[in-house]
Amino acid sequence: MFEFIPYTLIFLFIGAVTTLSVGIIEERLGKGRVKEWLSIIFIALALGGSLILYNEITSKPLGLMVFSIGNEPPLGSCLEVDRLSVFMAFSTLFLSLFVGVYSFSYMEHDTRLGEYYSLLLLMMAGMVGVALAGDFFTFFIFWELMCISSYVLVAFRKERWGPIEAGFKYLVMSSLGSVLILLGMSFLYGMAGNVNFAYMSVGINWGAAGIWAYLAFILLFIGFGVKAAIVPMHTWLPDAHPEAPSPISAMLSGMVIETGLYGLIRVFYVVFMPNATLLPNGPEMFKYLFAIFAVITMSIGNIMALLQKDIKRLLAYSSIAQIGYMLIGVASGTTYGLLGSFLHIFNHSLMKGLAFLASGALVERVETRNLDEMKGLGRFMPVTTITLTISLLGLGGVPATAGFVSKFILFGSALAPGVDMWWLTLIGVLNSAFSIAYYLPIIRTLIATPTGAPSGLKEAPASMLIPMGIMAILIVVLGVYPQPILQLADGASKALTEGLQNYILKILL
Amino acid sequence: MLEIQVYLITVLSLLVIGLYCMTFKSNMIRILIGIEIILNAANLSFIAFSARMVGYVDLMGQSLVVMSIVLGGSVIAVGLTMVVNAYKHYKTLDVKELRRLRW
Repeated sequence: MFEFIPYTLIFLFIGAVTTLSVGIIEERLGKGRVKEWLSIIFIALALGGSLILYNEITSKPLGLMVFSIGNEPPLGSCLEVDRLSVFMAFSTLFLSLFVGVYSFSYMEHDTRLGEYYSLLLLMMAGMVGVALAGDFFTFFIFWELMCISSYVLVAFRKERWGPIEAGFKYLVMSSLGSVLILLGMSFLYGMAGNVNFAYMSVGINWGAAGIWAYLAFILLFIGFGVKAAIVPMHTWLPDAHPEAPSPISAMLSGMVIETGLYGLIRVFYVVFMPNATLLPNGPEMFKYLFAIFAVITMSIGNIMALLQKDIKRLLAYSSIAQIGYMLIGVASGTTYGLLGSFLHIFNHSLMKGLAFLASGALVERVETRNLDEMKGLGRFMPVTTITLTISLLGLGGVPATAGFVSKFILFGSALAPGVDMWWLTLIGVLNSAFSIAYYLPIIRTLIATPTGAPSGLKEAPASMLIPMGIMAILIVVLGVYPQPILQLADGASKALTEGLQNYILKILL
Repeated sequence: MLEIQVYLITVLSLLVIGLYCMTFKSNMIRILIGIEIILNAANLSFIAFSARMVGYVDLMGQSLVVMSIVLGGSVIAVGLTMVVNAYKHYKTLDVKELRRLRW
């Protein structure tokens, strides 16, 4: 079946090869900025490719497309695209475009830039591929592509000890996660006889599976949970995110951990959810499992964030809390709840991406990540401070920012009839209010009267301010007028709940 | 042809050995070996399941194992590069000597 051509992936792979080779030539010459422009152009082309994909998919009656070369799905591998895949690919590449432009001047003092841009494009290709994958074979290759490039990017500034240490910790924990996913999938494969998600969904005799089904689920949950930073498995995140270069922190926090969550949601909804009634207490057990992890994740994330003095570490813990909010929607299990989760994935990628980019601009100027030493910095860097303020207010869920809309939907979804988890909403709202307690002090520190006179501080260069400014404007615009992205997220959530039968039957027939 | 249970017991014991290796060893290279052991458990499991039926081998499972060996090799290569760099900074391979690492 050859229903579409994955232009997004093709552009990203061509871009990765070209930037690497151009980067090597420019390194020899000692000058030149062609690789930066090339990377931005290829990301823009890939974003265009994802929009083409969206157009194609809306014209299909079922909203599904399959791409496979060689053997057909039962014997070969395939990409299967529904609206959720397109939504994830679009969110990834949308953030990537800003990150690519921001890297232009942020990374200019580093060497080995050809490798940097090449790895950045490969990481994006990995995330897009995970979103488009239709079977575990494709899924795992792109998953590892994403993981390996992100390990190298976290430890990119290898002349300092911090990134190396954080990178090693990230590598060990995250690859343990990948390996546990592989092991869990091997049990599902053994029961179903095929690596395709659709065949796994229908091919397993759940009555006879017994303990193996639970074992597979636990292994998969731990594996994806490590990548998505669900709380007992989160310990790599507060080290890896601060030590990575700021554009990479924005990428990791904005989309990579969400890709982990996407993998969990995709596998859970396609393989386990249709058969949950066959397991003893299946639906109730899954619902409360996600609800309990949502509560733990958001509470621990917020409490730990409150204790931090390091601005990037604080934002890293705040990412954990946001993953907790997203899990509320998964726990509710309704279309409305999933709509909230996906909307929050997109909004969080903008807000947390902007927060990391803006704090990276601050950190680059003052050369410390300690909040106490940033007092009064807003006087010298007004634009950066304003964008950071908007992003922090958005993360706190203040009305008229994008964060309010998605949090409102998420907290409302737990109250819906048939879900009845009022305590989840209560804890979520309390946590959201609590989180303001560490966002506001950052703003207060930045706009306070400077104690010393840190003279000579300049505003960040324009190529960093432009993406930050656009993101800040988008956060406000999407907070007041969320319809365009709401429509995308609505299609994504419907594809997962109402369109799930079609997703499975498309491969089987 | 051995029974599938024999393979599964081996897989689970490899998983336990790998997890033990990762939790209780403080040498960085041994931690990477722990990852490799669990990866091999997963590979063995895939191969055992793909050849479960007599006279029929599922090629998808086997090709997945070939890919996962390659990807596992890449992960370990990146890990060993980090170990070399960490050794340059700390002059030791003991993770407990790394200042901020908390497992």
